[in-house]
Amino acid sequence: MEVEKGQTYKYLREKYEIPVEVKEQLKNYTKIKKAILDALRDHEMTIAQISELLSLSRHEVVYYLMSLIKYGFVQAGELDEMDEYYMYKRLK
Amino acid sequence: MQEAKREATFDALVVGGGIAGCEAALNIANNGYTVLLVEKDLSIGGKMILLSKVFPTLDCGACITTPKVSEIARHTNINIFTGSEVKNISLNGKHKFKASVLKNPRYVIEEDCTGCQLCEEACPVNVPDQYQYGMVGRKAAYIPFTIASPRVAAIDIENCTLCGACERVCPTKCIDFTQEKEVWAVSVKTVILATGFHLFDPLRMPRYGFGSYKNVITSMQMERHLAPTRPFHTVLRPGDGKLPDRIAYVLCTGSRDASVGNPICSQICCMYSIKQAQLLMGALPMADVTIYYIDIRAFGKGFNEFYEQAIGMGVNFIKGKIGKITEKENGNLILRYEDVSSGKLQEAEHDLVVLSVGVLPNQDSQIFFSDRSLQEDAHHFIRQPDSLLNPAKTSIEGVFVAGTATGPMDIPDSILSAGAASAEAISYIIQS
Repeated sequence: MEVEKGQTYKYLREKYEIPVEVKEQLKNYTKIKKAILDALRDHEMTIAQISELLSLSRHEVVYYLMSLIKYGFVQAGELDEMDEYYMYKRLK
Repeated sequence: MQEAKREATFDALVVGGGIAGCEAALNIANNGYTVLLVEKDLSIGGKMILLSKVFPTLDCGACITTPKVSEIARHTNINIFTGSEVKNISLNGKHKFKASVLKNPRYVIEEDCTGCQLCEEACPVNVPDQYQYGMVGRKAAYIPFTIASPRVAAIDIENCTLCGACERVCPTKCIDFTQEKEVWAVSVKTVILATGFHLFDPLRMPRYGFGSYKNVITSMQMERHLAPTRPFHTVLRPGDGKLPDRIAYVLCTGSRDASVGNPICSQICCMYSIKQAQLLMGALPMADVTIYYIDIRAFGKGFNEFYEQAIGMGVNFIKGKIGKITEKENGNLILRYEDVSSGKLQEAEHDLVVLSVGVLPNQDSQIFFSDRSLQEDAHHFIRQPDSLLNPAKTSIEGVFVAGTATGPMDIPDSILSAGAASAEAISYIIQS
C-alpha cells in the first residue's frame, strides 16, 4: 500500500483503534488547560487560588500548571507576601 | 503488527546503554572492533544522564555524560539501537553468539529528524513525563529530554490520538506511522551485560506514605528538581507548590532492610543524599535540611570530607530509624523515629520528605540465555564466579558483566568495572 509522506497517521488510524481512555485523557487535559488559562487571563494567581477557583486539588494544579509553564503558556512571577507561594501569569 | 526480519554481524554486543555500557562499547570500538549497543530506553546515558550533579566533586552530571554519549553516537564502529530489547542469546559454537534483538518502532525516521520540536509543540496530548518521574507532563510526540542521545523525536503510540498534527508541522516529513517492529538476528563473538539496576519502589513501604502523601518524594525526583532541566521552575512541594523550608531525608529506604527483601547497602544513598542536601542549601538558602540515617557510609575517596562539608554547611544529621510518616492537613509530614543517641521515640515535623531509595537488581538479563544458565548471586545480581581475579567474568564463557549489573556501586566504580569488562571482551575477541 502506497502511503503519502506527511499523511502516514491515516495509515495507522485505519489499522489501530484509539483507546477510549486516551481520548478521555486528551479531553480532560484540554478542559483543564482552558480553565487554568481562563483563570489567569486577567490577573496573576497562586496555586492555592487556582485550586479553589477550579475545585481541583492543589496537587493536580501543580502538575497541570507546571506542564503549561513547560509548554510556554504560563510563567512564574513573584512570591506572595509570606514568601511561600509563587504567583503565576499567562503568557499566550 | 508485523515484524520485519534483519541480520547483522558485529564483534561485540553490549546490552545496556547506561554509563557502564557506554564506556565498555567505547573501549571496544576504540580498539578497532565493531559493537552493537542495545538500549531499551529512547536515549543512551542511563540514570547518570538525568543526574543534577555528581558526588563528591559536584561536577554537573550532564556536562560529564554528554561528551561521552556524543562520542559514542558519532563513533563509526558503534551501532546503537535505542528503544530495543535483547530477547534471546544463544551460543552458536565457540566465540560465536547469536542474539535476537527486537527494535521497537520510534515512528520517526531518525536520520531525518532535526530535533526542532515543532511536532512536540503541535501535539495536543499531555501525559506524565517519565523522565521527570511523573512530576510534569509531556507530549505524545516528544524528545525524551533536552540532552537525550539521539536527540530525536519519538511518538508514544500508546497515548497518541493519531490526529496528524505532528506530521503536518514536521519540516522534514520524518514522522512515519508505517514503521513496524524489526527483529534482528545478530551474530557476535562476545557479549557484555551492562543492564544496570532498578531503584527501590517505595510504594512497597506504605508506612512512609509515598503515593498517598504528595509531599513525600523519591531521591530521583529530588535529583530532577535540582537539575537545570527541572520539572518545576524551582524546588517546590508537588502537593501544593509551596517553597519547602524543612526538608527531611530518610536514608536506607528499601535497603539494609530484610523486611522488604533487600538486606544489602545501596552504597550510594548516603552520598547522593549528602550531595542533594548541599545543593538544596544553595537552592533554598533559608531551608533546614535534616538527614535521618542508620550509619553514614562515606567510604570512597573524598567522601568523608564531603560529609564534613555538609555538616559545616548546616545540614542536620540525626541517627535514627524512621518508623512511620503521617500527613497533616496542611500537607506537612510528621516523622516518628527512634533517636539512637537518646534511645527515645521522637517526632519531628517537615514540609517535604525525600526517600533515599536503595538499589535492586535488574533481573532482565536472566531471561536472555536460552541454552545456558546465567548464574545470579544471593541477591539476584549477576554472579561473578571469580570476583577477585576476574571480576568481569560471568558463569558463561565469553559473556562479561559491567557496572551495577553485578551489585550496587557508584559512577567511578561502574566505569572501572566497564573498563575491566571491555578489556576481557577484547582479549576474548582476539582469541577467536
